[in-house]
Amino acid sequence: MLNLVKAEWIKLRSVRVNVVLSCLAAAFPIVIVVLVALLDGNPERQKAENVIGMITGTMVVTALLVGVIGALNLTGEFSHGTIRNTFAATPQRRNVLLAKAFVGFVATVAFALAVAAICYVVGPAIYDSRGASLSFESYHRSALLGIVLLSGLLSLLGFGLGLLIRNSPATVVVFVLWPLLLEGLVALVLNVAGVSNSQKWLPYNSAIQMGDPSPEGDVNRWSGGLYLGAVVTVMIIVGILVNERRDA
Amino acid sequence: MIEVSGLTKRFGRTTAVDNLSFEVRPGRVTGFLGPNGSGKSTSMRCMLALDRADAGTALFDGRPYRSLKNPLFEVGALLDAGYVHPGRSARNHLRAIAMSNGIGSARVDEVMALVGLTDVAKRRVGGYSLGMRQRLGLAAVLLGDPRTVILDEPANGLDPEGIRWIRDVLVHLASQGKTVLVSSHLLSEMAQMADDLVVIGMGQLIETSTVAQFVAAHANQWVRVRSPQIDGIAQQLRDGGAQVTVLDPTGIEVIGATIVDIGELAARRGVALHELSPQQGSLEDAFLQATAKAQEYRGASFANTDAGASAGGTSGPPPPPGQFGSPPPPPVSPPSASPPPGPVAGSPFMPPPMPGSQVGGQ
Repeated sequence: MLNLVKAEWIKLRSVRVNVVLSCLAAAFPIVIVVLVALLDGNPERQKAENVIGMITGTMVVTALLVGVIGALNLTGEFSHGTIRNTFAATPQRRNVLLAKAFVGFVATVAFALAVAAICYVVGPAIYDSRGASLSFESYHRSALLGIVLLSGLLSLLGFGLGLLIRNSPATVVVFVLWPLLLEGLVALVLNVAGVSNSQKWLPYNSAIQMGDPSPEGDVNRWSGGLYLGAVVTVMIIVGILVNERRDA
Repeated sequence: MIEVSGLTKRFGRTTAVDNLSFEVRPGRVTGFLGPNGSGKSTSMRCMLALDRADAGTALFDGRPYRSLKNPLFEVGALLDAGYVHPGRSARNHLRAIAMSNGIGSARVDEVMALVGLTDVAKRRVGGYSLGMRQRLGLAAVLLGDPRTVILDEPANGLDPEGIRWIRDVLVHLASQGKTVLVSSHLLSEMAQMADDLVVIGMGQLIETSTVAQFVAAHANQWVRVRSPQIDGIAQQLRDGGAQVTVLDPTGIEVIGATIVDIGELAARRGVALHELSPQQGSLEDAFLQATAKAQEYRGASFANTDAGASAGGTSGPPPPPGQFGSPPPPPVSPPSASPPPGPVAGSPFMPPPMPGSQVGGQ
């Protein structure tokens, strides 16, 4: 299994599109945080909660981009036919797919952690230099950890969708529309049907609470993540079972 | 050793591979032949557990592919040189495949050198020509120095030097006792490198034999005779029931008489012979004969079948096998008639038109 993990790591980092998307995913929150910290008209009145909210908010884009990488990491194998090399080299498909999911999740979490750490260090440092006095609480750091884990979960969501759809454009479209459109439509239907607090039943909307920087954020932070995690896990298990039976 | 037994693969209502059984022996190059759409690639994918067979088994040294822990050490397969990520370098492509079986980068560099890609190892595969991709695919096959090698059209896109190189590689692998199964449409190449053949059509086994047996069974055989006094010999051969085709004023080709028969005939007549040579159709001729009923996709014929007829009838009838002195073959259509279904294009019975030539037969 360790060899498979190493092989998947080579694949993940040796494709230029992944590198480009990673650079974009890292640059977006860092640049926004730096620019806002530099250009803020009243830095001394800025609150820690707002700064953390800015980091977690911009890192949602990071999470979506790494989710796209997670999807392409698998669907690219189908679209280029390399999945046949992969399965020919390792006929135990389940092991290959688990290794790919594991590598994607760990790499994404490490990557998002690094981006969050840079934002968390650079942004407040600029504010400090401009006379702000930010005081961070534990729930702020939990929000940052939450958005890091959300990135990992979205990477797995992209992977799970890729397992089921196996087509790069279709998978990316579904992955992007899921949070932006599909869950909104479902929420609308649930609201019309009289379901109260319908958002908690929507995996993405529920999980995004992990990045809530407010003191109340800790209440639903991890339950939302667990819910999305459960959905993703079921999706991956079904995807693996399906792919073990389908022609490569 | 590869043992395929009862392999069957259906796509909906279409049976792509139908109860296919054959064996591939070690130490020999086995050609896997069949017309387009005959099920060769599907068979190979089923053998490698990439496609799920509806029935049957494929065993590699007695074990199904799925049970192999590190298959690169047992079976090296090249199904399609296009199975590469264009944005990945050749070296990383191989490193990923190698690492999955615990093979280190040193061996990757070694096989890249073997296939002559060291200088472009770090270039992205998207910039590779088809020939370079074939070499890359072969490098992947060689990574684990496997006992069995399966290649699907490995010569596609290769230049003549590359084709010769891959032939040498496969023959060398077989000489090391490895089991080599290779499909190719380059039948002249196959004739040079294959020892055995597995011929399929419409998903079913047509024949499995050695190349020599296959050609002997399906390709035409005849004798070419040259002599300054050819007319007398030709007439006597016709009288004996042989089918004679005139090549030029001093040369004929004969079906229905052996080289011994003709040699003795010439000796009895005191005729000098400048050439007396047995001729045989190519593997391509034999293949087209054997798979004539299994051609799923067939284009219009562009063979110049009426040229000979209009020029005096050098295109001949289907050559009936027979012995000298046996009952004469059926009458031959006159030169002006439409040519009957006869020998395949390129056979010696469709030579270029020669003025004054004629078709014999009686």
